[in-house]
Amino acid sequence: MATGKIVAGFIAPHPPHLVYAENPPQNEARSEGGWEPLRWAYERARKSLDELKPDVLLIHSPHWQTLVGHHFLGVEHLSGKSVDPIFPNLFRYSFDLKVDVELAEACCAEARDAGLTAQMMRNPGFRVDYGTITTLHMIRPQWDIPIVGISANNSPYYLTLDEGTGEMVTLGQATRRAIEKSGKRAVLLCSNTFSHWHFHEEPDLPEDMTREHPQSYTGYKWDMRIIELLRRGEVEQVMQLFPQWVEEAFAEVKSGAFPWMLSAMGFPRTPAELHGYGTVIGTGNAVMEWNFERAA
Amino acid sequence: MAVVAAFLVPGNPLPLLKPGNPPWKPLLGGFARAAEVLAAARPDVLLVYSTQWIAVLDQLWQTRAHTHGVQVDDNWYAHGDLPVDLRVDVALAEACIAGCAAIGVRAKGVDYDGFPIDSGTIVADTLLNRGRVPLVIAANNVYHDFAAVERLAAMAVGAATEQGKRVAVVAVGGLSGAYFDTDIDLADDRIRHTADDVANRGFLAALGGGTDSARAALGDYAAAASPDMGMKHLAWILGATGGFAGATTLGYGPTYGAGAAVVQFDVA
Repeated sequence: MATGKIVAGFIAPHPPHLVYAENPPQNEARSEGGWEPLRWAYERARKSLDELKPDVLLIHSPHWQTLVGHHFLGVEHLSGKSVDPIFPNLFRYSFDLKVDVELAEACCAEARDAGLTAQMMRNPGFRVDYGTITTLHMIRPQWDIPIVGISANNSPYYLTLDEGTGEMVTLGQATRRAIEKSGKRAVLLCSNTFSHWHFHEEPDLPEDMTREHPQSYTGYKWDMRIIELLRRGEVEQVMQLFPQWVEEAFAEVKSGAFPWMLSAMGFPRTPAELHGYGTVIGTGNAVMEWNFERAA
Repeated sequence: MAVVAAFLVPGNPLPLLKPGNPPWKPLLGGFARAAEVLAAARPDVLLVYSTQWIAVLDQLWQTRAHTHGVQVDDNWYAHGDLPVDLRVDVALAEACIAGCAAIGVRAKGVDYDGFPIDSGTIVADTLLNRGRVPLVIAANNVYHDFAAVERLAAMAVGAATEQGKRVAVVAVGGLSGAYFDTDIDLADDRIRHTADDVANRGFLAALGGGTDSARAALGDYAAAASPDMGMKHLAWILGATGGFAGATTLGYGPTYGAGAAVVQFDVA
C-alpha cells in the first residue's frame, strides 16, 4: 500500500450565512444572496479541491465542542436536519454524509497512543454541527467524498492557551500518522474564522450588505497581518504571534482547528494561496489553501 | 403575586440519562422533591433560562408551540438519547419579545422544526416539570451581563402578570465549573476539587440567607469556583422574583466533576 499523504489544507471558515446566501436545496431558509466575495473565494477553492481528487476530507469544527477529550464521528452514514441554534433563521440544513470510519478510528487510536483522551462517536442519531456542515458544503457541495469529523476539545479554554494548543498540535501529529498509514490522499479543513469580533444585533434583512464591514479595525489589521504572513510562508512567525493574535483579535483559531491543521501539515513553509477574504457579521474570514501537489 | 415558585436546577443530562448511578441520586432526589413543590404551586407557565442555549445576536425566545422528538447531546451521546415533548406558551413568549423592545433589547422568536432544544431545558422539563406546564424559554445571550438578565426576567414576569398567569421561574445551570477532562468511572463521580466543594456549599448556604446574602457571596464564589456562566442563571431568579427570602437546597452533587444543585427559593 502506498503511503498516504496530506495533499492540501484549507482554511475554510463556516459562517452559516454563506450557505444561506447560496440557497442550496438542502437549506430551508431562502435569501437574496450576499457575501459574494467569500462565496467566490469558495468557488476557487472548490475548483482546486476537485483537481486534487482526494480520498477523504478531514475537518475540525469549533461548533462541536467537547469537554472530555477529542471526539471523532464514528457512524458510516449520518443524515438528518441540522438547525443552527445560534442562527436558526438562516441555517436549517438537511445533511447526508458518509464518514470514513476506518480512518477516523485510526486517528482516534493514534491520538490515544499520543496520550490524548479521545473517543469515537457511535450514536446514529447524532446531529452534525453547523460548522462542519457549512465548511463541507462550501468546499464540496456534491458531498461525494467521505469525511472524518473531529470535535473541538475545550482544552484551549479550560486549560491555558498553551496547554490547549499543545493538545491540538499533538492531535495534528496523530492525524498525520493515521493518514500516512491509511494510504489515502487527504485534504484537511480548518473550519475557523480569524478575527471573531462581531456585531450583536442582526439587520432585519441579514444579507443587507450595506451593513457588512469589519466590526473591529484591530481585528481587521490582525487578519491582514496573518494573511500576509501565511502568503509568505512564514508559519513559524504566525505561531509565535498566536497568543497575541488570539487575544487581540478574539480569533476563533483559539478553538484548535488552526494549530491542528498546521501541525498535521508539519508547519509548512509553503506559501498559502489566498482565495478570498470577507467579513460576516463583522468577523474576518479568509479562504486559504496550502496545495502540496502544486508546490512539489 | 405572579411568581408562585422558583428553582435553580442543573442542566447536565447525565443524571437523567443514567439515573441508577449512585453519585447522581441526591440530584435526582432533589428534582423529585422540587417537582412535587412545583405541582403544588399550580403555575400556568414556567419561565426557563438555560445557560446551555447560547445566543450571540439578539435575545432569542422559543416560539414553537410543540417540539417533539429526540435530541442527542454533543458530549454525552454515548449514554443515550433525550426524548423531547415540550410545549411553549407562545402568547407569553410573543409578549416577552415585544417587551424586550421596551427595555432596549433586540429580540426575536425561534419557531423552527428540528430546532435543537438545549439539553438543560430538556432536563428541566423532564425531571422538574414532567411535561405538565407550558414553558417560556429564553436563550442565554453570552453578551448579556448579570444585570441585563435580571431586567429580562423582570420584564418576562411583568408580561405574565399582564396576562394574569401564575409563574414558576426556573434557572437551569450548574455550580462550580471544573469537570474531569479525562475518562472516569462514573460510579466514582465527585466534585473535582475539594475547594470547589467547599465554595459550593458555602454559596448554597448564602442562598439560604436570602437575596442580600446571595448577592454578597456571589463575587467571591464566582472567583473561587468559576461557576457555570458566572452564575448568570441566578440573575434570572433574582430578576424574576424581585428577591427571595431564603432558599432550600433539595439536592447537591457532582456532574462529571462539576458542581450541581437543585434549589428551591422562598418567594411567598
